[in-house]
Amino acid sequence: MGLKNGLTIFFGKIMVKCLKLIGKDAGNAPGLVLWTLNKNCLKAFKVDCPIIAVTGTNGKTSVTNYLNHIFTSGDHKDLKIITNKQGNNLDTGITSLLLGECDFRGRVKADYLVLEIDESHVPVIFSKLKLETLVVLNFFRDQLDRNGEVETLILKVKKFLETYEGNLVLNGDDPNVARLGLANPNNKNVHYFSVQRYAGATDEPYEVGEGKYCPFCNEKLEYEYYQYSHIGRFRCPKCGFGSAKPEVVVEDVDLQEPSFVIDGEKYKPSHNSIYYIYNLGAVYTASKLYNIKKDVLHDTFEHFEVNNGRLEVFEVGSSKLLVNLAKNPVGANMTLRVMNEHAGEKELLFVLNDNLADGHDVSWIWDINFSIFKDVSRVVTSGSRAYDIAIRIKCSGYDPDRIVVKPDLDDAMKSFFSTVGDKFAIANYTAIQPTRAAIKRYKEGTENA
Amino acid sequence: MHKIKLLHMYPNMLDLYGDSGNVEIIKYRCGKRGIELEVSSHVIGDDTSDFSQYDIVYLGGGADLEQQILADDLLKCKDAIKSAYESGTFFLMICGGYQLMGQYYKDSNGEKIPGLALFDYYTVASTDKRNRCIGNIVIEAQLDGEKYKVIGFENHGGQTRNVTSPFGKVLAGNGNCFSSETEGYIEKNVVATYLHGPLLSKNPKLCDHIINYVMTRKTGSPYKAEPINDKLEEECREVLFARLLK
Repeated sequence: MGLKNGLTIFFGKIMVKCLKLIGKDAGNAPGLVLWTLNKNCLKAFKVDCPIIAVTGTNGKTSVTNYLNHIFTSGDHKDLKIITNKQGNNLDTGITSLLLGECDFRGRVKADYLVLEIDESHVPVIFSKLKLETLVVLNFFRDQLDRNGEVETLILKVKKFLETYEGNLVLNGDDPNVARLGLANPNNKNVHYFSVQRYAGATDEPYEVGEGKYCPFCNEKLEYEYYQYSHIGRFRCPKCGFGSAKPEVVVEDVDLQEPSFVIDGEKYKPSHNSIYYIYNLGAVYTASKLYNIKKDVLHDTFEHFEVNNGRLEVFEVGSSKLLVNLAKNPVGANMTLRVMNEHAGEKELLFVLNDNLADGHDVSWIWDINFSIFKDVSRVVTSGSRAYDIAIRIKCSGYDPDRIVVKPDLDDAMKSFFSTVGDKFAIANYTAIQPTRAAIKRYKEGTENA
Repeated sequence: MHKIKLLHMYPNMLDLYGDSGNVEIIKYRCGKRGIELEVSSHVIGDDTSDFSQYDIVYLGGGADLEQQILADDLLKCKDAIKSAYESGTFFLMICGGYQLMGQYYKDSNGEKIPGLALFDYYTVASTDKRNRCIGNIVIEAQLDGEKYKVIGFENHGGQTRNVTSPFGKVLAGNGNCFSSETEGYIEKNVVATYLHGPLLSKNPKLCDHIINYVMTRKTGSPYKAEPINDKLEEECREVLFARLLK
């Protein structure tokens, strides 16, 4: 370790201690300060344990939480895992995390680091920390004003992978992800997973998607079927891209039960959405690399809950509410599918913010397919862009008189829970935690009254 | 029942920022007035020979790569599109669609894509991909002689110059170029702009302006769309003006 890096860590540790002394949660700030002082600050950490990272547009937090749970289950309850369960997935967030965990010489003591990493930060972080396994879930359009076009993002990750030789777990059904398996022809550690056609798959695309053209020869990709968005069985008729054989295939997906089969073994997951099955496919494939026992997987798939606004269930009075984060059209469409497949009348709350971390541009809501609304008796909208989402839903043909706009979250909860029944809530990135907090406030307020 | 025909060009490629929403909104607002909107599409390889049979031709925005891929196909349609424009078909064009109707578009890699040269303007993108006009934007346009504030979101690297008749005056945001005074391009049967949102979602009068033009042209007598329930749109505009025009 050079003198500069040594001093960086020393300074950082002092900073964290001082913040703690004055009772402040250090958060992202120390990492930000360190990056400003020294662009190579991540190199100053000495990490000897394997690092497993999860990236992709949707599902990072869930998959990271699952892996973290699995690695500390069964016979391994005493293993020490360092993870960013709550996100903080940018370079500065990872720096803050490691700063909090290391000693004054920058040594990080753990059995595994399991990290979710923002797609655009994979290269900058792992050019400085040695990565053992990278899981890539999917690439969808997401916050274009912040991230740029999806293609730019994929090329960034691809460039990093050209010299990477570690484990690569890839969603073989997403052409944007599968193409990364060819980034480094010398990497022998590429592991694809795939999910067999499920009952809700369609022959034609159902939602807006990326990757219509072959990334290698620009030919239009041919699809046997679409599971959701552009995820499905695809193949390039010209160059044959898409014919790689997946190592893990999730078979016999039954969302009613719900259940699926991998390697001849039947699992009964606790949720029933196709995108969630893909997340579990990724979890399974990564777990396989680390020889995780089947009973741990059974137990985790059946009982573990991420909560934190990911398919999280709340009981408020006699109403049952399912809350799900949606940062982009694909995420929102997935929740709408779950809602539609739920029999009977229901109400929807949509909370839409346009803060920096959401992307200031909310036009992505027009790529959400609201025309599929089934038995939705009322919609409440909230957040800094409550009106935008209300207009969007109205123009899909929904009766504007059944839309209630309440930009303030507490007002929204009062209106939302003024009726009793089955309810669904979708909130975008900066809206999800305030929404959960408002639900809890409302619940406590009414139950103590 | 009246029927309006709209041709959506390259809907599978020029659909970056929810721009297809504009078609949904025109359809919705036509439907409320008892007008049927028939939507057809033109994609690469289609043999569309007569563009003037359509009342509205619509182009959305796309990524550099897509604009490059479709440029050849678009050029093949040049004469047919020009004659539709000259015969009075309404042209609504957003972002990439706006750029491609000008003299040329030089993208962020320095690649020059020839436009249809329907209009005099041309666009040059900054070679620094991060150097873009991004953010909420409000402009003041003149629609049928009345001032109307148009609100949207811009996100473009291209700087459009030599615009002879801009769509509006910039009240907040960038416009045709960085910190420009004007935005977009307008003629009696043209609205070309960088505004996403999609454009028509928060500007119902602009949508009605297009419907009025098309129906007047079609029926031969002045048409004015009946007011409909725009409560959500009006309240949305108030909230955003209060925020953006401080």
